[in-house]
Amino acid sequence: MQNTDCTFICEQFTEYQENSLSSEIRAQVDTHLASCSACREIFQKLTGVVETLHKLPSLQASTDFTSTLLSRIETLNQETVWQKIYSSSYSRVAGYAIAAGLIVAIGINILIDPISPIKPGVQSNYAGEKINPDPRTESLAEVSDSSANQPADSLTLQNSPINSQNQSMQLVSGKK
Amino acid sequence: MSEKPLKTDEQLIADFQNGNENAFVELVDRYKDRLVNFVYRFLHDMTDAEDMVQETFLKVYKNKHAYREIAKFSTWIYTIAGNLARSELRKRKRRKTYTMSALSFDDNEFTPVDPGKDTEGIVFNSYAGEEIMKAIYALAEPFKTIIILRDIQELSYEDISTILDIPMGTVKSRVNRARLKLQETLSYLKE
Repeated sequence: MQNTDCTFICEQFTEYQENSLSSEIRAQVDTHLASCSACREIFQKLTGVVETLHKLPSLQASTDFTSTLLSRIETLNQETVWQKIYSSSYSRVAGYAIAAGLIVAIGINILIDPISPIKPGVQSNYAGEKINPDPRTESLAEVSDSSANQPADSLTLQNSPINSQNQSMQLVSGKK
Repeated sequence: MSEKPLKTDEQLIADFQNGNENAFVELVDRYKDRLVNFVYRFLHDMTDAEDMVQETFLKVYKNKHAYREIAKFSTWIYTIAGNLARSELRKRKRRKTYTMSALSFDDNEFTPVDPGKDTEGIVFNSYAGEEIMKAIYALAEPFKTIIILRDIQELSYEDISTILDIPMGTVKSRVNRARLKLQETLSYLKE
């Protein structure tokens, strides 16, 4: 029994075009196309579409495509090297050591100088020592402080108990 | 003096796996145009297509050892590029950035002509080319992929079957259905 309905014939078109149908089915398609104008029209259009698809202009990558790609790869390789260094156990240990060192340093600094308020007109040098550029303003700063009632000696000693230079500061500020 | 025979793609990727970076550059030169052609048919944007192809080569570079010589290199790289292109298409759809302007084909790759001037061989002129590209773009994803691989890239059914991981019979029937859909969409071109 031959299946010659239009749907079946249309399903064979691609292989019919490519000559890959069995001779029996190919003969069925030939016979059907000879008698069915609708399928013949579809087949003609299909052939035209396929030919046009094959003739579509070929695109080319831009001229700097390869150089752009290679520079991206170079960047990628550099990142990979850094990632390797960062993820290596040696660098992790080094990182932990640096972090621990920083924490210890900060801790010691806090223990030595737990409160070091910066008052208006009072500057501190890199060691945290208070430097008053204008001795006349210190008395005003001290007055504005909530602990102004305390003797200046005790304040200074509390802030920098091991700083012998504060003695000279006290003399300069004229509190004694 | 006999000319040195060209290495196959599979030999080149093997060389690259063994540390020869020049082999990678050779593969780039062999495939960049083919892949740009391939991906462009999905995205219809030359800049995006080149970006996707660059990503494809970067994936090859980073995952060179993932390639095993059980498949052809071409099917491997087409699979990567196709997956990236389809993923990008899905992202675009999710973002709903498909606007009519995206479908305007304003890069002048095809120069439209008045269809009335060419009544005989209309399917062979540039107008038809543009219309066909629009029609491909509008196809459902499985048909689009298959028509690009078969009729534009002209890959074998066997390679397409490997790339898409579907049986050969399915490839053939999808090609046929995709062509019929295209023909249906473009039926106004030549009455």
